[in-house]
Amino acid sequence: MTLSRKQPSTSVSCADPDAWTRVVAGSAAFELHSASVRYDARAALLEASLVVDPGESVALVGPSGAGKTTLLRLLNASLTPSAGSVCVDYKNLAQLSPVELRAVRARIGFVHQDPSLVPNLRVSQNVIAGALGRASFFGSARAMLWPRRTDLERAARILTRVGIGDKLFQRTDRLSGGERQRVAIARALFQDPSALLADEPVSSVDPARARDTVALLCELSRERGLTLVVSIHDIALAREFFPRLVGLRAGRIVFDERTQDVEAGALTDLYALAGLERVETAREIER
Amino acid sequence: MKSSAELPLLARPAWIGPRGTAILLLTAASIAAWFLLDLTPRALIPHAGGIEVAKRFFAGALQPAFEYESEVPPGTRPILVTVLEYARRTVVFATAGMSLALVLGIVLGFFASSAWWRGEHIGGASRTGRFLARTIWPFVWLCTRGLITFMRSVHELLWAVLFLAAFGLNTFGAVIAIAIPYAGTLAKIFSEMIDEAPRDSGLALRQIGSSPITVFAFGLLPRALPDMCAYAFYRFECAIRSSAVLGFFGFPTLGYGLAQAFENLHYHEVWTYLYALMALVIVVELWSGAVRARFVA
Repeated sequence: MTLSRKQPSTSVSCADPDAWTRVVAGSAAFELHSASVRYDARAALLEASLVVDPGESVALVGPSGAGKTTLLRLLNASLTPSAGSVCVDYKNLAQLSPVELRAVRARIGFVHQDPSLVPNLRVSQNVIAGALGRASFFGSARAMLWPRRTDLERAARILTRVGIGDKLFQRTDRLSGGERQRVAIARALFQDPSALLADEPVSSVDPARARDTVALLCELSRERGLTLVVSIHDIALAREFFPRLVGLRAGRIVFDERTQDVEAGALTDLYALAGLERVETAREIER
Repeated sequence: MKSSAELPLLARPAWIGPRGTAILLLTAASIAAWFLLDLTPRALIPHAGGIEVAKRFFAGALQPAFEYESEVPPGTRPILVTVLEYARRTVVFATAGMSLALVLGIVLGFFASSAWWRGEHIGGASRTGRFLARTIWPFVWLCTRGLITFMRSVHELLWAVLFLAAFGLNTFGAVIAIAIPYAGTLAKIFSEMIDEAPRDSGLALRQIGSSPITVFAFGLLPRALPDMCAYAFYRFECAIRSSAVLGFFGFPTLGYGLAQAFENLHYHEVWTYLYALMALVIVVELWSGAVRARFVA
């Protein structure tokens, strides 16, 4: 890992000066500053603040509907906050030009809950699709229909790394659920990302595969020095693989600690229905 | 707050809801239509002379002609060669019309679908992208929808009559007559297939910064392609029938020979042409079945 000191490139800096010393070259940093997201009247995320340093691995835990997906979508700039700000690599996304924003999105790999692949295309095409964020339309057409040898070789190397090197020219819908998940990860890696975001990457595979998938995501980000933010409902997996846990409930970040400091009570509270009602009541009293 | 013991009294759904009402109304409408047209089984019983004609016509079905039913000048092509020639031209007209219709249908289908721009304004899109998604694309979408509705509201035979009046017996007129309504229908169905196809892969592309047209071409279109292909084959089959019927207006397709045989009351020949048409449709059906099987595999 290289240590470097990045200078903020926009006038508004979101950076914590201490964090700079830990910057891993080429990997992304994320910051949320009291970011809220409202869908109509409902708040999906309320005043969330979070700093993820370059190269860090973080798990977002919490019951469904807690705001994990919303938070991830803020980080990859596919959602703009109703209030507060989002910074990626110390740049406030609200101040970026469309071209800069597109470049930011192209460097963030996203692994979806359902693999979001095109089932009737070959695995190679689905992997190469990872580069379409940076290409022009004609460049995209060329890459998808007549892929260059170098692209194919790169796709093959990545697929081998994620354990399905022999599937390069298979039709994607012939693959098992776990293999498709790996294709989705390979597509994210083909983006040459500076960060990997994964939204419940293991909810569509069986428990044994789930452990493998999480382990793979962690290994890959360590190897490549990628920042990794994963939302996951399986507490045991989160505790085993991630050094830092961020707990969400009802749109709020309720804890953000090193894994060994997170008390078991905090986790049970997170999922307890009674706890949820307490929050609701508290909010009613506030009003 | 109510205690859990007092369950709220839920309104029972009506015995016959809106769906039931709709079904009843539709049934009533179809019965009314039959009454208004005075459709009774008696109408199917032909008059005395009619029975004779009907007998001869259906007897032809068992014995299609392999030779002309009347004297022909020496040197006339054998009927089977004539049928083959008409069949060939039927396919040529259908193919020409369909190829034009496919290109137009895909282009119009793109503008008549909304999956590639709808939702673009929700998150992260560029200012230009949001502007286009809010103003220009909905307007283009509406205009295209109007245009394709107009194109397919006039039947291909009506278009053929119009072009016949305008340009005379012009091959290009016949091809355009098929292409216009077919392009309209293809565009409508294609756009609906694209809009109804799963959007997750398109969304994934959009999230990594792809432009709407890339999202359309490589995220949405491939999901709808198998259905679009199957539908295009079905329309090709329809185009063959339309092209055959154009023969009744004088274009050299199966319908031309059919009309002649009819006029001469050569019912055995009529059936030769009908079987040729059926054979064409079966060939297309087998072909499309084979292609669809590859898609599903």
